[in-house]
Amino acid sequence: MTLGYLVRRLLAVILVLIVVTFAVFAITMILPGNAAVMILGEYGTDEAVAALERRLGLDKSWYIQYFSWVKGILSGDFGQSLRLSLPVADVVGDAFLNSASLAGIALISVTIIAIPLGVLAAINRGTVADLVIGVFSYIGASMPEFVTATLLLLFLAGPALGLLPAGGFVALTESVGGFASHVILPATTLGLILTAHISRQVRSEMSEVLSSDYIRAARLKGLRERRVIRRHALPNSLAPAVAVISLDVGYLLGGIIVVEEIFAWPGLGRLLIYALENRDLPVIQAITLLLATVYALSNLISDIIIAILDPRVRYA
Amino acid sequence: MESTLISSANEQTPVLQVLDYSLSYATKFGALQALKNINLTVEHGQTHGLVGESGSGKSSLALAILRYLPGSATENNGRLLLSGESLRDCTLPQILEIRGRRVSMVFQDPSTSLNPTMRLGDQLSEVFVRHQGLTQQEALEASEAALARTGISRPSEMLRRFPHEASGGEKQRVVIATAFACNPELIIFDEPTTALDILTAKQILELFNQLQGETLISALYISHDLGLVSQVADKVSVLKAGEIVESGPRSEVFGSPREQYTKALLGSLPNPKNWLGATEPPPKAQALISAEAITVEYGRQSRVGQLLSPKPTHRGAQDVDLKVLQGELVGLVGESGSGKSTIAKVLSGLQDFDGVIRFSNKNFVSRSKIDRNYRRNVQIVFQHPDASLNPRQRVHEILSRPLKLYDIVPPEKRAGRVEELLEKVRLPIEFADRFPHQLSGGEKQRVAIARAFAAEPKLVICDEITAALDVSVQASVADLLVKLQQQTGTACLFITHDLNLVRQLAHRVCVMHHGRLVDVFQRGEIESSERNSYTRALMEAVPPHASQVL
Amino acid sequence: MPKAFRTAAGFTGIVLLSLVMTAAFFGPFMAPYDPQAFHPASRLEGPSFAHFLGTDQFGRDLLSRLLHGAPSTIFFGLGSTCIGVGVGSVIGVIAGTAGGWIDSVIMRVLDGLLAVPELLFTLLIVTFLGGGMGQAMLAVAVAFTPGMARIARSSVLSIRTREYVLAAIARGEPSHYVVLREVLPNAVGPIIVESSIRVAFAIMIGATLGFLGLGAQPPSTEWGLMVAEARQFMFRNAWTVAVPGVAIALAAMGFNLFGDALRDSLDPRQSQ
Repeated sequence: MTLGYLVRRLLAVILVLIVVTFAVFAITMILPGNAAVMILGEYGTDEAVAALERRLGLDKSWYIQYFSWVKGILSGDFGQSLRLSLPVADVVGDAFLNSASLAGIALISVTIIAIPLGVLAAINRGTVADLVIGVFSYIGASMPEFVTATLLLLFLAGPALGLLPAGGFVALTESVGGFASHVILPATTLGLILTAHISRQVRSEMSEVLSSDYIRAARLKGLRERRVIRRHALPNSLAPAVAVISLDVGYLLGGIIVVEEIFAWPGLGRLLIYALENRDLPVIQAITLLLATVYALSNLISDIIIAILDPRVRYA
Repeated sequence: MESTLISSANEQTPVLQVLDYSLSYATKFGALQALKNINLTVEHGQTHGLVGESGSGKSSLALAILRYLPGSATENNGRLLLSGESLRDCTLPQILEIRGRRVSMVFQDPSTSLNPTMRLGDQLSEVFVRHQGLTQQEALEASEAALARTGISRPSEMLRRFPHEASGGEKQRVVIATAFACNPELIIFDEPTTALDILTAKQILELFNQLQGETLISALYISHDLGLVSQVADKVSVLKAGEIVESGPRSEVFGSPREQYTKALLGSLPNPKNWLGATEPPPKAQALISAEAITVEYGRQSRVGQLLSPKPTHRGAQDVDLKVLQGELVGLVGESGSGKSTIAKVLSGLQDFDGVIRFSNKNFVSRSKIDRNYRRNVQIVFQHPDASLNPRQRVHEILSRPLKLYDIVPPEKRAGRVEELLEKVRLPIEFADRFPHQLSGGEKQRVAIARAFAAEPKLVICDEITAALDVSVQASVADLLVKLQQQTGTACLFITHDLNLVRQLAHRVCVMHHGRLVDVFQRGEIESSERNSYTRALMEAVPPHASQVL
Repeated sequence: MPKAFRTAAGFTGIVLLSLVMTAAFFGPFMAPYDPQAFHPASRLEGPSFAHFLGTDQFGRDLLSRLLHGAPSTIFFGLGSTCIGVGVGSVIGVIAGTAGGWIDSVIMRVLDGLLAVPELLFTLLIVTFLGGGMGQAMLAVAVAFTPGMARIARSSVLSIRTREYVLAAIARGEPSHYVVLREVLPNAVGPIIVESSIRVAFAIMIGATLGFLGLGAQPPSTEWGLMVAEARQFMFRNAWTVAVPGVAIALAAMGFNLFGDALRDSLDPRQSQ
């Protein structure tokens, strides 16, 4: 893995992001209705609409609009929120931190739980433990986030048990306990589904590794099973596991939208829903671009980690 | 290094005794009998060759001895004795002590039997740590010594490498070193040279004989290749469909075989002294097809591609001149990576190339220029029977395509022609309604040959068509090809790595190495002193015919 | 029945799938009550003989509402997947068979589109198309297209190098024959398997959109919408949210299991 490889991957990411900005921009251009009409709604007179269009710069040709938008982004200016009369960057910035903490907690807990689960299931393939883990992960993967969230709320936040708050947010800086109690349910919702996905994939990767020739050769050398798993099987399953987790980041970025909405967690997802309902274009564009960038970067990072883990790529 | 004899073993007790052993697997289709009443003995210091084709159960025996059977396996009362001790009575911890220390195994494919993410030195030293209680440092030193003994030139460097940084031969030496490491009583070799190139295979074979001579180790050598077995074994057992049909000292089994199956196996080995080919074309015959200065460069990219992910280019063939006369069978020989398949693809219009192909008074300077007439007259048969027929088409459809495409016969006559073709390749005409998965490997290959000849071509290119088949089937397919050639006067470019086979069939032989054509000669000139050194190395590496060994 | 379906998992999948498809086709006819009919006397009740699955805040029979909502939920999934698979496969096949710069360009565009997480993509499109079932279906179909195109492309690429395809090219078959008769019939396997699993996703996303108010609109009894409407009452009668929620999960599970069993049965390693 050389500097050249890194540079090329970075270029590829940038290329992808350019396409994304295009797509985001195109969606807002091509689809019916424009921002001015949507904002003013049925009450907009033609003059008012035209005035708003001029104000928003919507009367200029599309490539001018596109380039001025991109130019703004590169200098950190994402425009003004149409609804909140605040710079988009500020609004999105706060929300981003909240989402990041939620996603981060979910992802870390999942990694700690799901990978061992998958490994255990593969090692004990065909036993009851495997079956139980398998059924659980199947069910988990078949439930949309809002169903999981609702069921969790039902059981844990109901008046009967009243263990946890049904939603809302307390900043970490205000109270660690408060933050923790409010983050548990949304993180668990995300976590359950992620665990289901990831443990299934890890199980399947690990099973493949365990049925390979070199594992057979290791066992036939008389090595104890613990060493075979630890030194031969696990290192070869790490790279695929990382790949799986990075794919799920994409899922996470979608699921977080719903979860934040249900639990009233003030992150990017909730902000996006609000912006979509109110046709707040600059906010929508900024959030989309941000999420796509996070996804692309996470893919890049996982590629690099895989390259580091796999000597065939590292020393190529 | 300590001397080799195992002091604990009584030298009169055979190292391995398999007594009346049977094994079956439970499958969805019922019980599958893998081994039936096997009796086999490996004496001290002896090499016992176990010969069998694919599906004969030979690998199952190896795994049974090492007690690595799947849950679906059922064994009978038969006994497996290692130096007189019953292996079947051992507990799992005891078996783990035996594996690697008293019985070890060398596998077929070193690329898959080595852990790709672990250094070679670590994989070798872990048996020392496990079985001899050495520290990591001591184990590495012992590993270095073990590697040196297997002929690796810079062992300390090899210890640090990963498998993908070593060649096939080097990897196999590491595997062999691992097997010899703890001075076991018995080593099981399961097709150790099958996945290697001819020249490398010869080196490994020599290494085996050398180590065996030094350490007097006892070995069970499993292979489908009779020629190979004849070079290493003291005693030979022949395995057919799970049963040992013949067993005895090497000279007896190869010299005066008793069983029909053994005789058939020996008979189907290509014997270079046994000429099977078609009549030689007259010396001034016309060149049917002539390829000049053919160069193939893989990995050429557009400029955008170069920018985004540059890949090194690779020459598949370099400046190759090849000619085939009317009615001639030209053998094209070389190891894997020599470029012979590349030439096959170029000549059949599947690969871009630089250079010119002259055929039928036309000159073709690139793939796109190749015309319909050329394609009709130059047909190709591929190596893998499983991949060369469309799994969703029945045989009659596969065979009528060329008839339809080139209007060989009018539509109403096509069914009849399909039947004729099937008869020509000695397949029953009922096969016309079958799907490929209902045919055996040899049968599929015959259909592929029939398809090639259906278009009534002038040249048929055969790209390793017998390599993926069992020995007994190989001979009949090669024989069929030659008969067809004789009947139709078609020329043939026969590509193979098997020099013995080529000498049985080809009028003229071309040798390729690293993409270049290094030698061309008439069949009678093979032993001449003018031969290229590579050709001579190949000749020496090919196992002599079994009957010649004694 | 192919061997792969005889496992417990495959069998469960088929059973679930049959239940779900029956509900989708015949649900509205099988419902014992009018889904909109109020039964004021029995509001927010649990299961009983009169109402097998209980009632909601207006006393409407949950079972009837569920059965009525089955077509919307299930056909949403099937419809959007079919469109997405259809368009995506065509693009993927074109990329896979054409090769060269066409392939590179298509791949780059696909990469760009795939960089946007699917749910996000769907939400964007749905917002600008306006809410409603049809628009939501189109949005999901568009969001699925790049992923399916990738799968179709890789399937085609792997078949293209098979020897029987090379044999056809070598003997001079015209390209349309090679693509239609040699490549495609053998490349559809992975596409079909993936489609089956995608239907599960589509059902889940459709329900999510319904939940967010961006998909099905009242008075539809689409299952996601049912959960959304019942949220405020869920602590008084858990069945109001549990019934549609579990139904969604079962439907998705059925398609997932079916798709997995299908993949196993097509896997050449499993045969013989």
